[in-house]
Amino acid sequence: MDTRRRVYLCVGLTLTVILLTTSSSAIPAFSRQYGTSCATCHVDFPKLNDFGKAFKDAGFKFPKDDETFIKVPPVMLGSPAQSELWPHTIFPGTIPGLPPIGLRFNQFFEVTGKNANNFNSQLPGGTVGPYIPRTDFQPGFFSIFTAGNFGSDIAFWVDDDISVSGANANGTLGDAYLRFVNVSRFFKLPTDSLTVKVGQFELDLPFTQARGYDISPYDIYSQANIGAQNPAYPTQFVNNSFTLAGPGRGIEISGGHHYGGYRYAIAVVDQNTSGTPPTTYLNVPSGTGGSNGGVGYFSDSNFKDLYGRFAYRFNLERDPASRHEVQAAGATGPRDHTYLTLGSYYFYGRSVQRTSGLLSDGTTPTVLTAREPFYRVGGDFDFNYRKLDIYGLYMYGHDKDIVPYIPPGLEGPTGFISGNPATFSGGFIQADYMVYPWLMTIVRWDRVNSTADYLNGIGASASNPPPTPFFSPLSSVRNRFTPGAQFLIHANIKASFEYQIRPKQVVYEPGTNIQLVSPFRTNTATAALEFVY
Amino acid sequence: MKLSLVLAAIVMTLVVTSQAGTISGKVSGVAGESVVYVDAPAGKTFPAPTQQPVIDQKGLMFQPHILVVQQGTTVQFLNSDSVAHNVFWPSVGGNKKLTHNLGTWPKGEKRPFKFDNPGAVPLLCNVHPEMSGYVVVSPTPYFATTDKSGEYKIENVPDGSYTVTAWHEGAKNQSKPVSVAGDSKADFTLSK
Repeated sequence: MDTRRRVYLCVGLTLTVILLTTSSSAIPAFSRQYGTSCATCHVDFPKLNDFGKAFKDAGFKFPKDDETFIKVPPVMLGSPAQSELWPHTIFPGTIPGLPPIGLRFNQFFEVTGKNANNFNSQLPGGTVGPYIPRTDFQPGFFSIFTAGNFGSDIAFWVDDDISVSGANANGTLGDAYLRFVNVSRFFKLPTDSLTVKVGQFELDLPFTQARGYDISPYDIYSQANIGAQNPAYPTQFVNNSFTLAGPGRGIEISGGHHYGGYRYAIAVVDQNTSGTPPTTYLNVPSGTGGSNGGVGYFSDSNFKDLYGRFAYRFNLERDPASRHEVQAAGATGPRDHTYLTLGSYYFYGRSVQRTSGLLSDGTTPTVLTAREPFYRVGGDFDFNYRKLDIYGLYMYGHDKDIVPYIPPGLEGPTGFISGNPATFSGGFIQADYMVYPWLMTIVRWDRVNSTADYLNGIGASASNPPPTPFFSPLSSVRNRFTPGAQFLIHANIKASFEYQIRPKQVVYEPGTNIQLVSPFRTNTATAALEFVY
Repeated sequence: MKLSLVLAAIVMTLVVTSQAGTISGKVSGVAGESVVYVDAPAGKTFPAPTQQPVIDQKGLMFQPHILVVQQGTTVQFLNSDSVAHNVFWPSVGGNKKLTHNLGTWPKGEKRPFKFDNPGAVPLLCNVHPEMSGYVVVSPTPYFATTDKSGEYKIENVPDGSYTVTAWHEGAKNQSKPVSVAGDSKADFTLSK
């Protein structure tokens, strides 16, 4: 990667951090269907309260007596008595009485540190680098989402970004799945101990990114393991674009509840670490094109990645009567329980790298395939007491580095040898405090320590400049401190503010270790307005 | 003797009838149910009723939406929903010092409260902000709610001079003096 590309990458990452907010949000369709406010399920949309978690766990239904709350009755797709005739009739279901469609739009105003253009100091002479304005108004996402229940405990969800940053059709499908809730009843297992989800979905992460409520995403969730690729193959050969923030395509079984007790999830999803969109192959049958191509395939290989999570939420409520209810009976009204959740997660996959090489005869061209196992493992906690919610996550990422081996005297690799693994670690800690029901204050600390950053020159210290001309933080890790506040103008309109404080950085002269610019910060202030309806 | 008793009874009946009139009229300018009540004359008090009406929380709604009670009445608040609710009010008759929170109680249980201060009491639930209900506390037993056309009729009001108040959700109260002597009329035009 040359210097100019790195600069563009840097600028792109900066803008991505600013713009990459959640791709879906609260569901106004449920408000219409049940005639209730967003606040029934959300603390500060889209952050769920305990009741919202129970609503989601139940398949987008009230946990008890759902039918008594519905203000717009569903349309019957068959009399309930038809079920007695099954399999000689279609099993009866329902569809929502109103089109369960919600829309969301957000926009941003950002102020970037005036020294952000110091990045351009590293460009070769005569090169005009990208200009980063001090202030900028930016349209964000315009998204459509639909969710609900088809009866028989079959829930559905689809969300799609119609446009991003003002560009038509630039968005992508977020989650789109069917969820078969409480399948456990067919096996006489405990209630809600087995649920099956099929489609494209965010993994059951400890803290959602797709439905997050901060302006900026969690840095560790966006961490890919991409090492520098040396043409001579002496070093890194990891090029894994997988991030936990991205959706998986596959099937997930899960059980338990998000609002209390145990919770587990196991998912099998497509392996795609190249980051490439679906590939079309003419005359190759696919699910969308019959025998003539279609959209193509998402998988990079035959291997399916695996994800597992287990968490337990300890209910610390003193009142035994309300301990088993969805929400606690506070002195002045229902509220979320006091709880401590501890969890762990593990993701295992294989990153497939293909490269041109030679057969063992040293002359016949061939394609060499390296299957590099990788995993992401970590733990998390979430402590909630009244208006205060403190949570955090630690993650360790490890990619085995299988390096092409070029035997002496040959011009291309004939096989692979093991290299140093590419690793990263880090996480975040965030504290939310509800000053008022309409005002939530936030402070977060993100931290990422990555070997890929080292290789890309991001990780050197002032006394040990990077081997390549690039900017770097003075410390060996990337830190970010983000205080913020969110204001609910109405239950469906929110104004948010974040001030992203990044550590000091230094710019070196290309090809030398001469420091061009004194350490500086690239802090960013971002304000956002969003509404759902 | 018998004749004199009958005559006395007739006279008493006529006297009583002449002392208990009605106030009727129409509340216009607003749609939906309004409440009209007679304010208490200075120094006059009325015994509190023993009946305890119920306001239910069912289907994420207060039912009935508006309950009119006489001052001193105890109202029972019932939770019929399988979700947690609470009941609180930010003021009574606009007096924010009379704010009160009844807390939280489970499905099927009631919680009583005695309304000793007159005025409208906006009922709220702190987890379901769309829920809205009212207890209108009348200082006298003389009150009525309007029908669909806005008509009302308060019966058995002793003859005399009173102040009559019309209340409607979201509108400004309107009071006017009314002299009751038999059938009396009082129309109101409310505005937001």
